[in-house]
Amino acid sequence: MRARVVAGGVVSSIAVLVIGWQLGGQPAVTAPAQQSTTSGSGTTGTGTGTSGSGSTGTSGSGSTGTSGSGSTGTGTSGNAAGGSSASGTFAGDTAQTQYGPVQVQITVANGKITDVTALQLTDQGGRSVQISQQAAPILRQEALQAQSAQIQSVSGATYTSEGYTTSLQSAIDKAGL
Amino acid sequence: MSGVVTFETMGTVVSLRGATPETAAEVRAVFAGYDHRYSLYDPSSVLSRVADGSLRLADAPVQVRDVYALALDWRDRTGGAFTPHRPDGVVDLSGVVKALAIRDAGAVLDADADDWMITAGGDVLVRGQHRADGPWSVGVLDPARRDTVVGVVRLAAPRRAVATSGTAERGEHIWRRAAPTFVQATVIADDVVTADVLATAVVAGDEDDLRRLTADEDADVLAFGVDGTVWATPGARSAVRTEGETTSATG
Repeated sequence: MRARVVAGGVVSSIAVLVIGWQLGGQPAVTAPAQQSTTSGSGTTGTGTGTSGSGSTGTSGSGSTGTSGSGSTGTGTSGNAAGGSSASGTFAGDTAQTQYGPVQVQITVANGKITDVTALQLTDQGGRSVQISQQAAPILRQEALQAQSAQIQSVSGATYTSEGYTTSLQSAIDKAGL
Repeated sequence: MSGVVTFETMGTVVSLRGATPETAAEVRAVFAGYDHRYSLYDPSSVLSRVADGSLRLADAPVQVRDVYALALDWRDRTGGAFTPHRPDGVVDLSGVVKALAIRDAGAVLDADADDWMITAGGDVLVRGQHRADGPWSVGVLDPARRDTVVGVVRLAAPRRAVATSGTAERGEHIWRRAAPTFVQATVIADDVVTADVLATAVVAGDEDDLRRLTADEDADVLAFGVDGTVWATPGARSAVRTEGETTSATG
């Protein structure tokens, strides 16, 4: 292993941020355990050597519980004002995931995403249900409060055939963000 | 108008911003070319014929051998965390091909415009800005809740590329060597091939691999551990802002 040179400006030493992401939105600050995990001693400024499994509870079993039945109708497809100050509701293309077909719908106000809803479509007659009650509007997400959700793309680990990301990206594309 | 062009290729969807219809058609051809050579879903592709034994790799077109060489180079650079060899021995270049297509598409787009963005299945490459007052921005999806964005990466040169890999991927190019340490890794780099390969390598590896990769490679990483920890390089830290800035100042 190469020795890490710790000079004035170390650029990319990795360090743990204690977030506890699977608690989503909760402050979730667990006291960092003293484990001195960081690489590269004495990194400057940021990323001091904390570690800590910032978790409680088991890792997220995820939101995607399969679901039974639900209301009829797929998400409203938006049409809408063009330009990047678009407003309205936009449904992405239906995409395949390991949980079945999924369609993502976003609500946009003045070019910013204010809500995201995931619909899981059953194969029976286009009935749809929400994937998760945790389908929290991303702006309500505390992790994002300081930032506006003005994004033109999403990057995520993709499910089979890239389904979920594809549908969310599709909704963003249709909104013309 | 939205100014967004989308098309399907390689089992995913490509979104283009800032491209004329003519340029978009060229970009589409770039992807089709890669798909034609490297798809293992297309039995007539060059790589499928290598896989079924009807074509020797040594006899494959030079561009295919060059891509294989590039993948091998990344295998060495990542200590084997990234590899173009499937466990069954088949040469699978899907781990680099999408990124290479995006890279080449970028060269096409460069000839046409100063400000553009291309997204393909969660890999993103940009040039310039979204608007005069705003950078191109990419939402990083929550590993556990796909409809939630946990961070926003704002891209500015030279950091022009983002890619994310995760354990949720199936049928992809991650062949893990041990029990997973990370469920998702987002890498921000100057070029999209580096971002894509490193994201794969981080998810395939463990904490030691993560440390080594971030020390050796010029890239920023946001990695989500199975135990709930979030790892970030200083450059990636600004992408996620946590409530009350929990950036753990114990040390």
